[in-house]
Amino acid sequence: MIHVYGVVDGLRELPPLAGVDEAPLERRRVAGLELVLSKAMTPPSAEVSRETVLRHAQVVEELMHRSAAILPAQLGRAFRDEDQLATAVEEQAAQLERSLERVRGCVEFGLRATADAAEPPEADTGAGYMRARLEQTRRQDDLVERLHEPLARLARATTLQRPPGGLIGAYLVAQDDVAEFEAAAAGLEGAFGVTVVCTGPWPPYSFAAGAS
Amino acid sequence: MSGNDALRHDVTLLELVDRVLNKGVVLSGDIMLSVADVDLVYVGLRVLLTSVATLDEQRELAAGGRSA
Repeated sequence: MIHVYGVVDGLRELPPLAGVDEAPLERRRVAGLELVLSKAMTPPSAEVSRETVLRHAQVVEELMHRSAAILPAQLGRAFRDEDQLATAVEEQAAQLERSLERVRGCVEFGLRATADAAEPPEADTGAGYMRARLEQTRRQDDLVERLHEPLARLARATTLQRPPGGLIGAYLVAQDDVAEFEAAAAGLEGAFGVTVVCTGPWPPYSFAAGAS
Repeated sequence: MSGNDALRHDVTLLELVDRVLNKGVVLSGDIMLSVADVDLVYVGLRVLLTSVATLDEQRELAAGGRSA
């Protein structure tokens, strides 16, 4: 079984780290693209373990530090053999090239905002319910304006989810803008009655699947 | 402050697992690995979080050094 960590460009050297199940990392060139993979010994029925998640993340992180660009691969799919891998990559080669260009020279940051207070009790009338919903939407719009938008202005691309009472954002940030982005993110934390946590720099997981 | 650090740890962990399992490019291999026990993955990762935190600190130091 072949486990893929990502598509890389300008990889200087493999990191001094084993892959999933302690299998050695290997480089492959397919359709003009370079992949980093390992041959896992795990039977296909095996469930993803915490060690697998952590090792995959560590390998991707180390590859990021040694590459000009990286598209992290999602954990959860694997290939039977090299032929199957080559076919899959050839089919997607043009899209992968475009995605690599998009993330080149960039890292990702994450934003999570969650409401400090519990949600107001459920209103017992239809009108009260509507008012509560409107109020929740209004506060969330406010969060978008005050938390997401200042960060989005410093990013090349963003994603935004709006779970109840909070926000989950991802930001693709050019290396040259990282210091400014981190300063802006630090200024946001703890404000507006929500708990705000910014994380990163991450490899560009949220921007690897192509422009949406 | 320590409560804050614990929260930051938990969120960092959540962000890590979410990225590894839900984001990233899908290279359509036909072997689907089971991630049914994601809750267990989260719980178990708490134990291993030290290494992630260490990576984090190194990154912050590196980033600070570059921007200084």
